[in-house]
Amino acid sequence: MSATPTARDALAGIRVVECGDFVAASYAAKQLADLGAEVVKIEPPGSGDTARRRGPFAGGRPDPDASGLYLYLNTNKRGIAVDLERSEGREVLARLAREADVVIHDVAPLDIARLGLDADELRAANPGLVVTSISPFGLTGPHRDLRMHDLNLWCAGGVATLNGGGPGADDLPPLKAFGQQAGFQAGLNGALGSLAALFERLTSGEGQLVEISMQECLTSILEMTFEFYPYMGLIPSRLGQKPIQPLDFLECKDGWVFICCVEEHQWHRFVEMVGNPEWASMELFENRLTRGANWDALQIFLNELASQYTVEELYHQAQARRIPFAPVSTMGDLLASDHLKARGFFATVESPAGGDVTMPGAPYRHSSTPWRIRRRAPRLGEHTADVLGELGYSSGEIARLREAGVAQ
Amino acid sequence: MTAPAASRGSERRRPLAGVRVADFTWVWAGPFCTLQLAHLGAEVIRVETLSRICVTRLLPPWPEGQPGFNRSGYFNQYNQGKRSLALNLKEPGALAVARELVAKSDVVVENFAAGVMDRLGLGYETCRSLRPDVIMIALSGYGATGPEREYVSYGPAQVPLSGFSSLTGYPDWRPMHVGISYGDPTGGLHGAVAVLAALVHRRRTGEGQYIDLSQWEGTMALLPEGILAHTMTGEAPGRHGNHDALWSPHAVYRCAGPDRWVSIAVADDDEWRRLAAVVDPALGGDARFATATDRKRNEHALDALLGEWCASRTPEEVTAALQGAGVAAFPAMTAKDLNDDPHLGGRDYFVELPHAEVGVKRHMGIPYKLHGTPLAVERAAPLLGEDTDAVLRDVLGYDDRRIEELRAAGILT
Repeated sequence: MSATPTARDALAGIRVVECGDFVAASYAAKQLADLGAEVVKIEPPGSGDTARRRGPFAGGRPDPDASGLYLYLNTNKRGIAVDLERSEGREVLARLAREADVVIHDVAPLDIARLGLDADELRAANPGLVVTSISPFGLTGPHRDLRMHDLNLWCAGGVATLNGGGPGADDLPPLKAFGQQAGFQAGLNGALGSLAALFERLTSGEGQLVEISMQECLTSILEMTFEFYPYMGLIPSRLGQKPIQPLDFLECKDGWVFICCVEEHQWHRFVEMVGNPEWASMELFENRLTRGANWDALQIFLNELASQYTVEELYHQAQARRIPFAPVSTMGDLLASDHLKARGFFATVESPAGGDVTMPGAPYRHSSTPWRIRRRAPRLGEHTADVLGELGYSSGEIARLREAGVAQ
Repeated sequence: MTAPAASRGSERRRPLAGVRVADFTWVWAGPFCTLQLAHLGAEVIRVETLSRICVTRLLPPWPEGQPGFNRSGYFNQYNQGKRSLALNLKEPGALAVARELVAKSDVVVENFAAGVMDRLGLGYETCRSLRPDVIMIALSGYGATGPEREYVSYGPAQVPLSGFSSLTGYPDWRPMHVGISYGDPTGGLHGAVAVLAALVHRRRTGEGQYIDLSQWEGTMALLPEGILAHTMTGEAPGRHGNHDALWSPHAVYRCAGPDRWVSIAVADDDEWRRLAAVVDPALGGDARFATATDRKRNEHALDALLGEWCASRTPEEVTAALQGAGVAAFPAMTAKDLNDDPHLGGRDYFVELPHAEVGVKRHMGIPYKLHGTPLAVERAAPLLGEDTDAVLRDVLGYDDRRIEELRAAGILT
């Protein structure tokens, strides 16, 4: 952090060591890397990060250096493969941490000390160090050491019970959102906590331990649903009818659209837009509450209507009248969107396996220090020799660590 | 664990102590961004008005079911620790007050549709002329540029727009929601990260800047597996309920009791063998389920088998039995389950502070613990305009007479 900041990168000169597996710590460190920090990611030799095995893979051929999820989560990072189960491997971590500003990891609490990530120890050698620990339930409490995958966390955070089922289908289970969303939310909170600690260090000169509970991250985004219990003694349910309609999915000629008329004026403008059909003046559909209560009937009329339009027609015609319709975007729709193209959202990044990969780009645009890709994701162990060399390991020592299987 | 800050040096304060935020946000995304800044110690001043009241003040839940714009649990959850300045920007004279506030603020946050702040006379160029090193962030639905920049963005519509709905749902069923307006907190958190990075930059260079955040883009940032499947293979994933592309079992199973469910997820063969040993030792040798590929191929049979095993047990019994063997399982928690959760309660996660109109109610707290500079919510969410006089006096230096003149002119409502 003592390095002279350039005008280009907000986090220029900030050194980060990441021990991340799969999504959480990797996404946290990606935020810092994409804003200019120098991130070294440590992976286990041999298998590497779980994300290397997730794909998607071009042509369906698994290749640990070409997994789409990994390529996305690890842009702008250098990668080393070092075994933290071995004392020589932990020595590499300790030497990196001595010169770093931040260590970010998502190692399970039971394994933290064994893998050389004890915050007190790391900080004894480098008091300015920020250590960010992301774990399913945090570092204290009765659930601390439970084994949890993303689906279990989505349930533990109370999000799953808010989705799924519906009228006539209440036997269906609570439903997760697509992807590894507990990991992403924890990653965002991890980036935020790390940056806050770094900012504070500019005043105090001291680092600190930042502790993230993935369960708490999810309970913090339950919209108004949790508060129904302490405020009214009610438990929100994913089942049954929605009180207000239309706020639902309709099937068009060529895909799905989301109709959103929660305000009366939006409904009136919509009815006018579709030519004032006779059914719209029925008493059943008089206001948003009766439209909710009689959704079974209204849905039939609306689906019949929607089937005469394309998604794009309904979306743009409604938005022209300031009715907040949205397309149910497919992945192809997103890539083809004129709006996203005009903003240049998607980033094209080289794959270590050859060719280019198009992926989501900047989630925020800074006018002075723009988010940018400076470097593609690393092959497993791609920078082991460089980074160990910078730490003062001789080429002979590096070769010995490789032979012993400590490094790759 | 790390010693409390007091024992190491009494001057250490919360990270954003001394940072003032002029908060022109409303609904959820913007207030969620400024909630993080308040959690980190910033002085967040929400500029609000009765003439265009924050939507969340009008929504339930309300104690005893009695509506009231200071009584909403929704508003009170996401505005903890902030101050409220009532200022009707539609009144001539209010703009001058808002501009003075901007001049005294480090960060300006807004989440109107693109162009609205410019029309109000509070666009970035104006703010920068008032405060040259200001950091300003706009968290709009579509972003500040592009052909759809003025489109209307509502939380529930943002989820299908972003692509989440086309990938979320049961097989052979319509697209689904994700249960919350996911683009809002995702945009708010990305926004808070962006502001923190800009604060670090400003601290090191003296330079402020403008940040354009599109909630749509922030949400797509969490969809790489869908987007990259399309760009790398030409084919997007289908809707597979709670199933995983590679791991199995990976589902939410019905348990004993009304609408009670448990999640079980197995990532590798070791976890599978441990699960099998608990459920039925014969399963461990069942060739249909020997490898991940086998389990995926026979997932229907596997789900039926586990579904039957769970059906006669509570989620807590399933969780205890499987976690005891090192298998990932956990109940699908409801609001009541979370409220009664001994783990969350034991970590002092909940916030219960006095509020003039709702009393002491439980709210969700801060999901990051900073051990060197401990964080705590210092006050409940503000009543509308609760801090008007204090902000005008303490921050802007107005005297009582000037405040009365503004009040008489109808500006402070």
